[in-house]
Amino acid sequence: MTRNVCALVLAALVLAGAATATTSGTPGVSSSTITIGSSGPLTGEAAAAAGVLKGADAYFKYVNAKGGVNGRRIDFKYLDDAYDPAQTVQNVRPLIQQDNVFALFSVVGTNSNLAIRDFVNAAGVPQVFSAAGATTFGRDYAKYPWTIGYLPPYAEEGALYAKQILATNAKHAKIAVLYQSDEYGKDLLSGFRRGLGSKAHSLIVQTVGYDPTTSDVQSQVAQLKASGANTFMIFAFGKFAIQSFVYANKLGWKPQIYVNDVASASSIMALDPAKTAEGSISILWGKDPATPKFKGDAGVVLAGKIIKRYVPGGNPSDGFLVAGMAEAFSFVDALKAAGKDLTRKGLMTAVTHMNEANNPFLIPGVKVHTTPTFRFPISAVQLQRWHQGHWVPFGGVVSAKP
Amino acid sequence: MTNFLQQIVSGLASGGIYGSLALAIVIIHRSTGVINFAQGEMATLSAFVCWTLLDHGWSFWPAFAATLILSFAGGVVIQQVLIRPLQGSPLLGVVILTIGLLIAINGLTTWIWGGAAKQFTGPFSTSPINVGGVAFSKQDIGVIAVSIIVVVLVGLLFTRTKLGLGLRAAAVNPVEARLVGVRVGAMLAVGWGLAAALGGVAGVMAAPSLFLEPNMMQTVLLYSFAAAVLGGMDSPVGAVVGGLVLGVLLNLAGTYIHWIGGELRLATALAVILGVLLLRPAGLFGHTAVRRV
Amino acid sequence: MKLLRRRLDGADQRSAGAGFAGAGAGFRRKLGALGLAIVVLAVLPIPLSEFRTVQLATVGAYFIAILGLDVLTGHSGQISLGHGAFIAVGAYTTAILMANHGVQDLWTIPIAAGVAGGIGLIAGVPALRLSGLYLALATFGIAVAFPTILKKFDHFTGGSTGITLFGKPTQTGHGVGVLGMTNNEWLYALTWTIAVFCFIVVWWLLGSRFGRSLRAIRDSELAAAASGINRSAYKVAAFGLSAAFAGVAGALLAINIAYVSPDTFPIQLSLFLLVGAVVGFFGSIWGAVLGALLILFLPDLVGLIPHVNTKQAGPTTLFFGLVLVVLMLVLPLVLRAGAAIANRGYPRAQ
Repeated sequence: MTRNVCALVLAALVLAGAATATTSGTPGVSSSTITIGSSGPLTGEAAAAAGVLKGADAYFKYVNAKGGVNGRRIDFKYLDDAYDPAQTVQNVRPLIQQDNVFALFSVVGTNSNLAIRDFVNAAGVPQVFSAAGATTFGRDYAKYPWTIGYLPPYAEEGALYAKQILATNAKHAKIAVLYQSDEYGKDLLSGFRRGLGSKAHSLIVQTVGYDPTTSDVQSQVAQLKASGANTFMIFAFGKFAIQSFVYANKLGWKPQIYVNDVASASSIMALDPAKTAEGSISILWGKDPATPKFKGDAGVVLAGKIIKRYVPGGNPSDGFLVAGMAEAFSFVDALKAAGKDLTRKGLMTAVTHMNEANNPFLIPGVKVHTTPTFRFPISAVQLQRWHQGHWVPFGGVVSAKP
Repeated sequence: MTNFLQQIVSGLASGGIYGSLALAIVIIHRSTGVINFAQGEMATLSAFVCWTLLDHGWSFWPAFAATLILSFAGGVVIQQVLIRPLQGSPLLGVVILTIGLLIAINGLTTWIWGGAAKQFTGPFSTSPINVGGVAFSKQDIGVIAVSIIVVVLVGLLFTRTKLGLGLRAAAVNPVEARLVGVRVGAMLAVGWGLAAALGGVAGVMAAPSLFLEPNMMQTVLLYSFAAAVLGGMDSPVGAVVGGLVLGVLLNLAGTYIHWIGGELRLATALAVILGVLLLRPAGLFGHTAVRRV
Repeated sequence: MKLLRRRLDGADQRSAGAGFAGAGAGFRRKLGALGLAIVVLAVLPIPLSEFRTVQLATVGAYFIAILGLDVLTGHSGQISLGHGAFIAVGAYTTAILMANHGVQDLWTIPIAAGVAGGIGLIAGVPALRLSGLYLALATFGIAVAFPTILKKFDHFTGGSTGITLFGKPTQTGHGVGVLGMTNNEWLYALTWTIAVFCFIVVWWLLGSRFGRSLRAIRDSELAAAASGINRSAYKVAAFGLSAAFAGVAGALLAINIAYVSPDTFPIQLSLFLLVGAVVGFFGSIWGAVLGALLILFLPDLVGLIPHVNTKQAGPTTLFFGLVLVVLMLVLPLVLRAGAAIANRGYPRAQ
């Protein structure tokens, strides 16, 4: 007990130290620049998600070219952690201790954000708009006041799929689930089970996990098919999602497929066999440039221009890039609200008082809304269905509030 | 029962890939005594070469043939430039060198082609064939058939041709082979080239199903080691049979032993390696026991 | 028999005289070098930034692991591609004790050494039955599969989320600092104090009868057996010792990063350690520090090459591999030209 008190006192001292430091000038903020940092998988099995950082970087460059925020340029430093949380810790340390970043923005991955959260909060550095969907980032603000996520919580996403199944096929659904056996996959699965409620036990006929270091999920998909399921939940990532479609096709299995948001980028789906992917259901909250519905949309056109100008070799229809721009747009909004006299405290106040309805990179009806006690910036989504090589949104915008 | 048969068929299809790569490992091991840790990355590099040719509009079989020729040449170059200078030095040094090669080739493919998974359209259709509830595709049959055809060809090469005789002689007794006029140096180079080409077959067969990316063969390498050890490190037939057996074994263990599930596949392969090395070092088909010290 | 023994000892002094046994001018010179090294280590953090200081602390942990590999591979002639697994065992011992059992981080270091060392001793017994090549194969398998095993026992290891140690009351200095040092300076001081201690232990051991016997076994099993050395006991002891060193390194890494997860110990870590050990020349513990530095600073070095973007992983990895390949090509020449540090017990490549 006394030890805990000691720790608290020490933490308070650190915070006080950080606070006193701000009076003599906020770290990472000069008269002409704001330096912010991040870390994400630029390489390795999750490298596709690096688009989020590249998209955000491109948007900041675009804002800088137009005069920056309150007269300051944004200098965005992001490092590669190859999706290894320990590497994230080792990236974040120099960002805070050597580069003196003002804030960490959009660090990618649930485990990576969890790994740095204690350290970052003790140092009193904002960890804002993390590109991760674990519920804890929005819920546990009392313990971690410097942390806030961005994405709709994975658990709620899982619950939404459950709702959709109950609404459309409650009687005959026999559900098989493939999940990545880490926090990310388990979060989706537990939300899905919760969404099915008392029916979870009777409707789910088989769940199988896979380790992301494995080479393929062929055996798992065969096992799920053999369970006699007619509904296939893919809570996976990157190439394992693609493999799931390919193997289902090879096995002549034609279930109703649900595939989670992070694994459902159009660029990934395009690699799937058309026959199997047809009719798959997922969610969206950011505008997918490959969706015909958004062709000519002002936000998508702007994103295309920014990608062309600031992302060399970037694919203008890469949804990850646009998602990164959506986050960057919200961040720039928060910086503006935090005012000319920029402090870390001021930034946290701004990101917990968001009311942004004009983010051009989010689908119509999805607003960025937060209060000091509600810290889920994106808490509404829309369902979408894969049809003839494209995602087609359907139904209205629905809540994904925890 | 359907699931049981399905898992066996899927396991054979995966096992064909493990077996092809194991065959390459065995060819080098029996002719030079080295375990080539870079074999998996060499196979990935071959698959990337083939992908690039396909991307430039080549049709599959010419691209495949060109890839095998290039792989053979690559293997010969590696032997001549890197392995030959180490003749006469401790064998372990050569093995460590191949580990360096593993790291370097992985870096090279990542640098050139990037880390994202690429679609690789193979020669065989992936549309399903259904026999009594067990589904498989021409791709699965193709992979298994190719690995068997390759091992038969290798067998014929070793037993029916003068080149094969030279290869065997150079491996078994280089000093006497040299005395009777076998060009031992050339034979060793051919051995490495042959293994690189066989690895290329494994890489190209694996890519449509695993999706092509720089780390594609990293875990497959461990499965192939397990297959080679299981079959006996000096037996080409053993390598392919070991691969097929291992593929089925991993699938059945993952399906029916709940505790193993999808998560402990690698650990199961490790258990096979350790078990065979400690209990029956010669494997299923090996002739000479692992040298004990 | 006596003659043989003397011959072995003689060869030994020529090959790896880095021991106390070779007391004399060489010994005094080395002692001086050690003293100088300690002085340099003590003042080094002063001109360096906080971040460089903590990076050097990481180098210290790698240095300890490489020392252990040196004993195993360089002196007893057994190869291990799986030392990343022993580092993981040490790191998890520390993390679990700190997070769940309220043990102060400093006390977990000897316990981590004991746990990893104990597992090393057990692993050393079956390792006796495998010749070099197959030992490489088996330990490679262990390194590849170990992270998945860590994930499987998630109630114990925290699964893929890992264990966060930052801010735990068992953290000395609570991540803030100790004795007027900043936290990073403290980590540096802790790591290098232990590293110097480990170095002296290895130095002494290798110069003692233990080291001579190991090298005798490495150079000729037959001759060693003939002179009455219990080969099995020595080889198993070497395995245990080197695993214990890896355990210490793991404990220090866990304390340093204040976080452990299975993905922190990939096969690449084991391979990079091997590169470090090769850079540090098998058989010479003085070079180990060079290897440890290389592991951490090669990315920076590669970044200096024009037109190479180290934001991609490819180039750094490529050069890592190339360093190892080139070293293995050059090393035999160096060895042939110089003394007789060679693993004579192994079959030769053809």
